[in-house]
Amino acid sequence: MTVERTGEQVHQGRYDAVIVGAGWSGSLLAKNLSERGWTVLLLEAGEGGTQTWDGYLESVATFRSAVAKVPNSAYHRNVLAPSPDVLDLSPRPSTGNGTPPYTAHGYFVQNGAHPYRTDYVRALGGAGMHWLGAVPRMHPEDFATKTRFGYGRDWPITAADLQPFYAAAERELGVAGNTKEQRELGVITDHDYVYPMHEVPTSHIDEHCRKIDGATITDGMGVERELRVTGLPQARNSTPNPGYDSKKGYRPKGAVGLPNYGERCVGNASCVPICPVQAKSSPLRLQHASNDKVTLATRSVVTRVLSARGKRVDGVEYRTYTGSGTKAKAGAHHRVKADIVILAGHAIENARLLLHSGLANSSTQVGKNLMDHPTTLAWALADSQVGPYRGPGHTSGWEEFRFGKGREKRSPFRIEISNWGWSWSTGAPMSNVAQALGVGGGKNGRVKDEGLFGPELRWALGDTIGRQLQLQIAVEQPADPRNRVTIAPDRTDAMGNPRPIITYDLHDHVRKGVYAAYIASKGIFKELGAKEMTDHRPVDGVPPLGHFLYDGTDLTYQGAGHGAGTHIMGERPEDSVVDSYQKTHDHPNLYAVGCGSMPSIGTSNPTLTMAALALRSAERIHQDLLALRRKATVGAGLKAAKEKP
Amino acid sequence: MITAFDLDEYGFAVPKTIEELRKYLQAAIEVEHLTIPVYMTGMYTIHPGTNSEAYYVIRSVLLEEMLHMTLAANLLNAVGGTPRVAHPEFIGEYPVRLPMSSQDLPEIGLRHFSPEALRTFLAIEEPRSFHSEAPMGSGWTSIGQFYGAIAQGLFGLVERHGETHVFTGDESRQVGPEHFYNSGGEAFKITDWETALKAIEVISEQGEGALDSIWDSDDVFFGQESQPAHYFRFNEIMMGHRYTLADRPTDPPSGPSMAVDWKGAYPIKGDSKVADYERYKDKSAVYDKAVEFNQTYALLLCALQKALDGEPSTMGLAVPFMLEMRDRAEQLYRNPHPDPECAKQGLFASATFEITRPHLDQAKTQVEEYVAAAELDDEAPMDLSGLTVATKGRFA
Repeated sequence: MTVERTGEQVHQGRYDAVIVGAGWSGSLLAKNLSERGWTVLLLEAGEGGTQTWDGYLESVATFRSAVAKVPNSAYHRNVLAPSPDVLDLSPRPSTGNGTPPYTAHGYFVQNGAHPYRTDYVRALGGAGMHWLGAVPRMHPEDFATKTRFGYGRDWPITAADLQPFYAAAERELGVAGNTKEQRELGVITDHDYVYPMHEVPTSHIDEHCRKIDGATITDGMGVERELRVTGLPQARNSTPNPGYDSKKGYRPKGAVGLPNYGERCVGNASCVPICPVQAKSSPLRLQHASNDKVTLATRSVVTRVLSARGKRVDGVEYRTYTGSGTKAKAGAHHRVKADIVILAGHAIENARLLLHSGLANSSTQVGKNLMDHPTTLAWALADSQVGPYRGPGHTSGWEEFRFGKGREKRSPFRIEISNWGWSWSTGAPMSNVAQALGVGGGKNGRVKDEGLFGPELRWALGDTIGRQLQLQIAVEQPADPRNRVTIAPDRTDAMGNPRPIITYDLHDHVRKGVYAAYIASKGIFKELGAKEMTDHRPVDGVPPLGHFLYDGTDLTYQGAGHGAGTHIMGERPEDSVVDSYQKTHDHPNLYAVGCGSMPSIGTSNPTLTMAALALRSAERIHQDLLALRRKATVGAGLKAAKEKP
Repeated sequence: MITAFDLDEYGFAVPKTIEELRKYLQAAIEVEHLTIPVYMTGMYTIHPGTNSEAYYVIRSVLLEEMLHMTLAANLLNAVGGTPRVAHPEFIGEYPVRLPMSSQDLPEIGLRHFSPEALRTFLAIEEPRSFHSEAPMGSGWTSIGQFYGAIAQGLFGLVERHGETHVFTGDESRQVGPEHFYNSGGEAFKITDWETALKAIEVISEQGEGALDSIWDSDDVFFGQESQPAHYFRFNEIMMGHRYTLADRPTDPPSGPSMAVDWKGAYPIKGDSKVADYERYKDKSAVYDKAVEFNQTYALLLCALQKALDGEPSTMGLAVPFMLEMRDRAEQLYRNPHPDPECAKQGLFASATFEITRPHLDQAKTQVEEYVAAAELDDEAPMDLSGLTVATKGRFA
């Protein structure tokens, strides 16, 4: 098991590798490298606690008592290692003098034409503590959009290079999925492969949507596709597949902090942000499964990477704190040394740290090409009860608009079928209750007298809530250097570290994708016989967050939590930050890993690809460390020979 | 307790014939089940949000008792028997004496989370090694001893008739790991002497500990984390301390302390019956809630009957009923006892676990409807999506 120490205790330590950030990438690398015999220090800026059962239950309770059930609602605010929150943004009426149509409070400074609506969480386990657990692979054509469709950037590697690492990542994360469907989609190419677990059962809503399998839908850019509902691969425990791994089978990994618990999903329906039984996979599992060559220190905020002679780096400087949340008190600066330094923070944190350290930026690409999956919502009332608010956030989608011809015209998109009603689009079901009760008052400020009560209220709620359909359509956003993270000396957090300054917008290809998706959603609702309720129009003259007009049509986008692309990989040091192993071009022993390395993210939730990349990097880091040891041994041998009398 | 009390009358011995063995295995299912309402009551009476360590300890044992019940049924199916669980007499009337047990063992009652309840739990799980064993025919003093007799009987039969003539059951009747499990160990198919012995060892060692230790063998059998056996897990609550690796069975637990607040529980009158509540049904909803709880329990037993009697995939359908019982319990136990005299003493309402024939008949029909709606298929992974919503019309 990982050894836990305080930041003070590991001060002045020396490790084979130091990893900044104990999220998915950091935890995968720590486990993998320690299994190969290397000593690893894992520094986490946020607080721990969830690795104990009591601490985990406290997070569950924090979520349950939160008024707004946003992705960070299970984790308290931490002033010394602040996180962005989706609640930091508010819309504001246009003043016509060029001020952006939003205000941003909180950790991010935002100065773009439109807000970056994505969050992450700095706590032990990182964003892996509030993710949904969706783990689709990327499609071969996603790796070469420039060559094939003339937009975005190509990867220096192909899907084929990643196949074995995808499979390894699916084992580490514990993935349940329908292998046949994914093979038909073309994302799994190994003919013998099956997922460790059978797919999580699809929902009643999925079955409802399956009724229109075979229907042809045209999107807003004239791209036609025949629909077929496809299950979503998920890092969530379901029934193990006895055929996995040449029929060796798979044993689901359970909860951390409570023995033999949480081995199957039982449909608690709060995956984002927290699964009360830990059937959803998290990086805590990897930390728990690591050997004692991994040392973990939480509350250790890395402030910069330390340079050594030549182009090498030497270790990191970090600052500890005591206390918790808003009462945390900053402590002293500390240093540790390591042969390999690996930045495994969120894409934006990695960029911030590289910029602040003044490293790896000979290409001037650090911080540039920030991406997300701008997500447009569409909602409707079904013609019958569909049973929302049950099971994981979504269990199926329509994949047809993700690939193939049409990408040259507009960004592709993946249509997620929501199992959680209109919660994202309208704040349902609470908003339905408020509306039915007449809460909020009329225009004159008086209590509305048309509120419903008693059986009538129950009937009205049951009728509307039970028929809620919502589509969450994630649109690919290609790398664009105009979308970027910078820092400035006068913009710092409570510890004195630079805050990310975000400049962001949706450019033409993406806007076309959003519009195309919106039109496709109309076609789908029509086929389903559902009453479309989608509404992106300004409210009382104030445009909603993420609002833009496309050809006179009101549209909005949400953040997907898929931050990527701030230290993009490429073959050429002139226009990329890291190589295909996520090693910085400029420094032979500095790695920057995570979604920040991705030149494109297709329409796949990026965690699985990130995990595959981390495992691929582990192999290379292992080789680097071996080479360093050989050199050291040869050096010592020569020295000993010279000293011989 | 159909078979268990039958056997009790004959006295305790090693089963000699396959028919006798089947009776013993049916009794084993009943004995395993007998503990479940007892532990459930201890767990459900804990105030929500308090005693969380103790709550999860009891829960973990409870789930392993469900596993033991399943494994006992697999054993019975393996030797060509037919488990019977959906039967009014399957359930004991609490307080109850463990069938075939020695007169020295106390009666088992439904008690709220308290030292007294824990003493009951400890009595049920007490390791074989803590007792001088009574001679055959005079009752058994530990569940380990009971399973020891089953193992001996089974071994004798295998020796005399050969494995293939003992394990005659249809493999498709066996509940396997694919049919859902969520705790220590997992269900596995029993088809021969080796798997049968493994099942008996799992049951004994999760309960009492492996060979003179406090630890179970989940690490060896299932590649899981090893935990203290049931007796010792309960003793941790009783003593307010965890065991360490160095502790021996006769030592008190010497590890970190465990916060136990005996006041964080709803005191109940454990021998309350639905009939007691019915007298106050005009004033208190407890009667209705208690009846609904029992009806849900009947649904669970009917789903289990199907699962253990040839349609193992029905096991997936049983799980939502368990979750429903948990939710119903949370609604029920927080109410004062409807009898004003009991309420004055600070007693709360509790589930009675009384199942009647009409309950079961109604439940059986309902389970059939659910099974049809779920379209359970033995070849495919479990999928209950067909059950989600049947309502087409108006709500409420």
